[in-house]
Amino acid sequence: MNIKFASRLIISLTLTFLIGPFLIIILAGLSAGDFMTFPPDGMSLKWYIKVFTVESFRESFWLSMLLAVFGTICALILGIPAAYAISRYDLPYSETIKTIVAAPIIVPGIIVGLALLRYLVVPLNFTVTLALFMAHTALVLPYAVRVVSSSLNNLRGDMEEAAVLLGCGRVGAFMRIVLPNIRSGVLAAFILGFVTSFNQVPVSLFLSGPGVRTLPIDMLGYMEITYDPSVAALSALLAFLSVAIVFVAEKFLGFSRYV
Amino acid sequence: MFQNRKEGLALALPAAIFTALLFLLPVGMLLSEGFKVDGLWSMQGYIDFATKPLNQTVFLRTLKLGFLVVLVSAIIGYACAFCIVNLEGRHRGRVFGLIVLPLMISPVARTYAWIVILGRTGIVNDTITGLGLSETPIRILFTETAVFIGLLQLFLPLMIISLVSAMENLPNDVIPAARVLGASWFKVFTKIILPLTKDGLVIGGTLVFTGSLTAYITPAILGGSKVLMLETLLYQRVNVANDFVSAGIIATILIIMSFGANVLLKRIATARD
Repeated sequence: MNIKFASRLIISLTLTFLIGPFLIIILAGLSAGDFMTFPPDGMSLKWYIKVFTVESFRESFWLSMLLAVFGTICALILGIPAAYAISRYDLPYSETIKTIVAAPIIVPGIIVGLALLRYLVVPLNFTVTLALFMAHTALVLPYAVRVVSSSLNNLRGDMEEAAVLLGCGRVGAFMRIVLPNIRSGVLAAFILGFVTSFNQVPVSLFLSGPGVRTLPIDMLGYMEITYDPSVAALSALLAFLSVAIVFVAEKFLGFSRYV
Repeated sequence: MFQNRKEGLALALPAAIFTALLFLLPVGMLLSEGFKVDGLWSMQGYIDFATKPLNQTVFLRTLKLGFLVVLVSAIIGYACAFCIVNLEGRHRGRVFGLIVLPLMISPVARTYAWIVILGRTGIVNDTITGLGLSETPIRILFTETAVFIGLLQLFLPLMIISLVSAMENLPNDVIPAARVLGASWFKVFTKIILPLTKDGLVIGGTLVFTGSLTAYITPAILGGSKVLMLETLLYQRVNVANDFVSAGIIATILIIMSFGANVLLKRIATARD
């Protein structure tokens, strides 16, 4: 057996294992029958259409969307100055600060959700939505800091120093010199944060209540009661959405440089 | 580099304070619950936890599945990374893109697919009964095998990515040189590829191991209550029994294991020098 053939075989098998299940999901969602089967019972778009009419899916979709957008924006508002301070300033305790900000990555989401529920929502009367929002912000923050830092490290620091020397204030230098130059890094951080937040499940396992459920949790709940292809259809649609976002980002920003 | 330390702190502190107060503090309080019994500091919770057979099974199963997923993903990962690195530029980019693609998709969708494949009336069972290999469908869903397959699919891309970037730094001619000098493929792998790519293996291994430990969806959907893992056990203890002592203990174990994996793998990597 020649090496080229063997290598193609290994790659195709791996890709089948990694991608194949999605093709099955997409097709299973196209079924005309009432139950999940593969190959599907006939073909129809009815489950893809039904997804849009399920009230709880619509509500949870918007909650997930809002959490992802505003959580990520908030993480950037906190994260960009922190990244700037870490890469440009002679910062006291910089190791400690870096460790604290990066810590949410290693804490499993389910623990975060439970901790916030038990110590913020219950005793301090935080609403579940607020706690969810804070958890998502904290979880996205490490990515925001990392991506923006790497983008700042690629930007020469003497440009801002020159601007300051020429009489531009520190804030002005940041707004007029730094920000425009790290724009694509910030966008990349936004997209990475958005996808991370939108697909995040374990955090919201405990942090959900009547009327407050993120989309993945809603899908899990729906799967437990029914076995119709609508979850497959929804999964396929969400997969398309994520892939489209990342594809566009890669095309215009060279997204993979930052991840 | 700006020298004004106060200004730097003013920029960095909001992020640090936010994370510390609203994230680390509550998590720390949850961890401390494991060391309390009826409000008093005590290790009794840990002793009770460790002596329950169910907890032992779940702990060992989580460790075992974590190691297995790392091992198998490393084997597939090396084979795959070796092939990808040897592809020419255009193809390499495409294949690499397809490998990364699943990482962007919701784990719910990624896991759900396996129900269709492994379920009673799924593809695998249809094939088995269709070929007459077995009269009745065999149970794959809600077994360790199903959880293993789900975790492997979830985390394999992370291993491949780490190994591909490690292999790209391998000098082009070392492998042909070793072959010409008479080394077997096994020797090439153990004496050349492995030592030179161990950093990638350590990074990939840590990502895969911690990912497998802390995955919730996969064991919940594919394992259910028959194949509990630490995460699903935590959820059950809190939801069914309101047992925050166990929750604190499991949380502590998970965090220590994630940290431990990282440190241990780094040790192994440096010890081989």
